Formats: sequence, structure tokens, C-alpha cells
Amino acid sequence: MKAHSVIKVEDLVYSYGDHRVLKNVNLTVHAGEFVAIIGENGAGKSTLTRHFNGLLKPLSGRVVVGGEETKHCKVSQLARHVGYVFQNPDHQLFHNTVEKEVAFGVKNLGLSTQTIQDRVAEALQAVGLDEYRDSYPYDLSKGQRQRVALAAVLAMRPEVIVLDEPTTGQDYREMMQIMEMIQVLNQKGHTIIFITHDMALVAEFAKRVIVLCEGKILQDDSVEAVFTCPDFLKQSFLELPSITQLGNGLSHPEISAPFLTVDEAYNTLKPLLGGEAID
Amino acid sequence: MIEYMPRESPIHRLNPLAKMTWAFAVMILALIFNQIDYLLVILGTVLIVAVLAGIYREMLGVLKGLLMFAVFLVVLQVLFYRQGTVLFFLLPLDYLPVTREALLLGVAMSLRMMTVLLSFVVFLATTQFKDMVVALTDKLKLPYDYVFMFMTALRFVPVFLNEIVKVREAQAARGCQVDGHHPIVKVKAYTQVAVPLVLISLRKAEGLAIAMETRGYGSNQRTYFKEQPITRIDRVVMMAIGLFVVAGVIIRLQGFGMI
Repeated sequence: MKAHSVIKVEDLVYSYGDHRVLKNVNLTVHAGEFVAIIGENGAGKSTLTRHFNGLLKPLSGRVVVGGEETKHCKVSQLARHVGYVFQNPDHQLFHNTVEKEVAFGVKNLGLSTQTIQDRVAEALQAVGLDEYRDSYPYDLSKGQRQRVALAAVLAMRPEVIVLDEPTTGQDYREMMQIMEMIQVLNQKGHTIIFITHDMALVAEFAKRVIVLCEGKILQDDSVEAVFTCPDFLKQSFLELPSITQLGNGLSHPEISAPFLTVDEAYNTLKPLLGGEAID
Repeated sequence: MIEYMPRESPIHRLNPLAKMTWAFAVMILALIFNQIDYLLVILGTVLIVAVLAGIYREMLGVLKGLLMFAVFLVVLQVLFYRQGTVLFFLLPLDYLPVTREALLLGVAMSLRMMTVLLSFVVFLATTQFKDMVVALTDKLKLPYDYVFMFMTALRFVPVFLNEIVKVREAQAARGCQVDGHHPIVKVKAYTQVAVPLVLISLRKAEGLAIAMETRGYGSNQRTYFKEQPITRIDRVVMMAIGLFVVAGVIIRLQGFGMI
């Protein structure tokens, strides 16, 4: 049985002035999904996700979040259901300490002091900024500030978390840390929607991929399915991760599914080459 | 509102200095007269220039926006100017008299305000910032630092407006009620917008300063890629404008054009 839908988009059309950015987009996101939205710059990725928490209202069509049409909701109300981590964390930081910054969103929910403290501590732990709780946010690195913004959203515990390129400006280790954290959240039941340009991240973490191209959904399927027919990706100037390209290029009968990670490739190829697969 | 609108028009081709002279001339003329028909003529000439520049439709939009303030000015005059012939009363029992003079003065003030503002909007809409900078420093010999400061300030207005929108969105997305309707909640919520905005602005300014220095700002005597020669047309236009101003002052000294 499929989980209930948390976001439903029907015939969504949106334009900036004369420029039509979204053309009849239809999609449903179910509870607990891990969705990657990919596409070239200007394909409408951010415009689409900005509809999920009501920052943008559809020009025509409907966006339903948590059973309510966003047209009738304020962003600050929808924030309870949908958390949004922006590309630039600096637009929201204004407290003297990291701790207060993270607490701000939770306070807006009107919870008890004890609950607020617990949630803030937990969120800071989750993003690995425990020891920086008393630091001034602007003294942190960009990557750390991004994680403060993420913690601020985590502490609010929204059902759905939208991340607009959460890994830009992070080094490899920070990037993996963030993605692994998001993965844990997903396992705990949060619905995750993230925008990215990094196909390796899509391969390793996402379950479902939505390919946007010039304001239309080109493909909307499981990662495996999308990665087996890369023609669609080429159309929107996306390239598969090298390891997937290698697997697809080998076109060996024993390789049934595209490689998503190096580990997968290793475990499949090793026995084919006459060795033993190790865990 | 103060954005450059690229067109191919004789007004756009004029030297920025000529257009600046014109805007100041309009201001002087609008300030020395306060009779409605005189002011209407001046406003008319500004609109004609807008037509010549091909930005008539946009300017009508600006006028519409200014009309709101104009009505406000008329109301102020009506409320506070009590001399003259009473036309009617706003409230029964002879409260709040409205005089003919108050109405005339109010309308004149509004026209004056609209004329002056519109002439500057036309000037800014037909002149590119960089041309203005060259004209001010190269031709008027103003110190470049100050001109640059002033121009950057103007240039940053739309950037700030954009940042405000982004900060508001970011805070609303965290459940902060910047999008509420209750006035007190809204005012309170604005600190949450103001602080990030100030911090971002400081960073932007710092970034700009560094970028300028790395590109050699202030290291040497400046030269300009695009010279802005003052052509014969520019001279004729400026002379004509000067004559109009002199004529206006003479007419005014003869006692015409005042209520």
C-alpha cells in the first residue's frame, strides 16, 4: 500500500512576467519519499519547490500541501509542514548565537521551553555543530552556516524537508555529512525533496528522480529507471556519474541494474572478473 | 521606478548634462510658479519629452502612482489652509470649511510635486548610470569618489529591495509571521528582517570594496572608455533650456503665474 500523499501538484503553471517557467507540472509526493529534483539551470527547479511551502502561488493549477491548497495559506503556517533550507543561509541568520538561531523557528511553533531546548540540542547534535552552540553564526564557515540553517529547519521537525542545493560550497566531507544526516531523517520518516546538480549524490541517496527541462517534467521515476535511459538526461544536459556510465558502457548480461555507487560496481564486477566479493 | 529603459530616441542620445540641465530647469520653473495653468503647461512639456523618448506608457504608470500622493497633498491643504472664500463644509454644522484657495493651492502643490519628480524619472530612465558618471566627473569635474558613491547608492536600491524579499521569504519559511496581517505582529517581525539585511549589506559593501581595489580603483588618474562629447545639438538644447528659464523668471517677476 502506498503512503498518503503529502504534496500534490496539479497542472501547475507559473511565469515570471512574460517568461513561462513552469508549464503544466503534475506530480505527487508521498510520505517518506526521498526525491531528487535535477535539471539544468533555469529549468524551474527552485520555482517548483518554492510552491511547496507557499512562497510562490500557482498562476493556474493547484498545489495541495497536507490536505490544504497553498493558495489559501500563509507561508508561516505552511512552515509547520514543510521546512525549506535555502541556498544562501545568510538571509535568515540574525541571532547572536547558533543556539538562539536554531531555537527561533521552534519558538514560532509555540512549544514549551523544555521541548524547545531538547529539540535545539538534538538538531545541533544532528548537524554536528554541538560545540559551536555559543558561537556567533557569522564567525562560522559558509558550510557551517548552511548547517545552522539546516538545524533550524530540523528543530521544527516538519514532515517534509525541501533542500535547495544543500551541498553547494561544502567540501566532500561536509557534503557527505549533510547527505548522511538527511538520509537518517528520511529513515525516521521525514519526506525529503532536494535539488542538486551532483549526479553522484542522486545515485547514492535518492530513491526517486524528477528531471525538469524547460519547465516540464521530462522524467519522474526511480533512480535505477532514470539511469538506465540516459538519453533523457542528455536532453537536459545532465551526465550520469562516471561509475554508472562505466556499468552501462560494459553492457554485460550479468549487470542487470545500473551501478549507483562504487561499492555496488565493485561487488558486481569482482565475481565476474573471477574474484570473490567482499562485504 | 528609477530604472534605465533602453530605447532608440533623440532624448536617449542627448548628453547626460543636457538632460540634467533640463531636469533642473523644470524644477526651477515648477517652483517659481504656483498657478495651476502654468504648472499644467510645464507638466505637459515633461510628458512631451517622455513621448519623444518612447517611454510614455511607463511614465503614465509612474504618474498614476504619484497621483495617490497628490490626493494626499490636496487633502492636507484643505485641512490646514483656512483663509479665503468658503466653498462648502466637509462636516455638517459648518465644521471643516473647504476654501477655494486651499483647493487651488493643494492642486498646485500636487502638480508641482508630480512635475519635478517626473522630470527626474524621465532623466534617469533615458540615461545610463555609467554615462552619467562620465558626464559628472569628466565634464563637470566633480570628484570621482563622491560621484561613484552617489551612483552606487542609487544603483543598490533595487538590489536591496530584492534582498528584502529574500530575507522575508527565508523568515516566513521558518514560521516567522512577516506575512501576517496584524500590524503589531508585523512590526515585531521586521527586526527579524532588518538584522540579516544590515549584515548582508555590510558584507556586500565589503565585497564591493575589495573587488574595486583588486581592479585598481584609485591607483591612477582615470580615463574613460566612452567619451561623451557635447555635440552641437546638446549646446543648442542647453541654450534653449537656459532661455526658457530666463523667460520664466522674467514672467514671474512681472507678477504673473502666482495665485
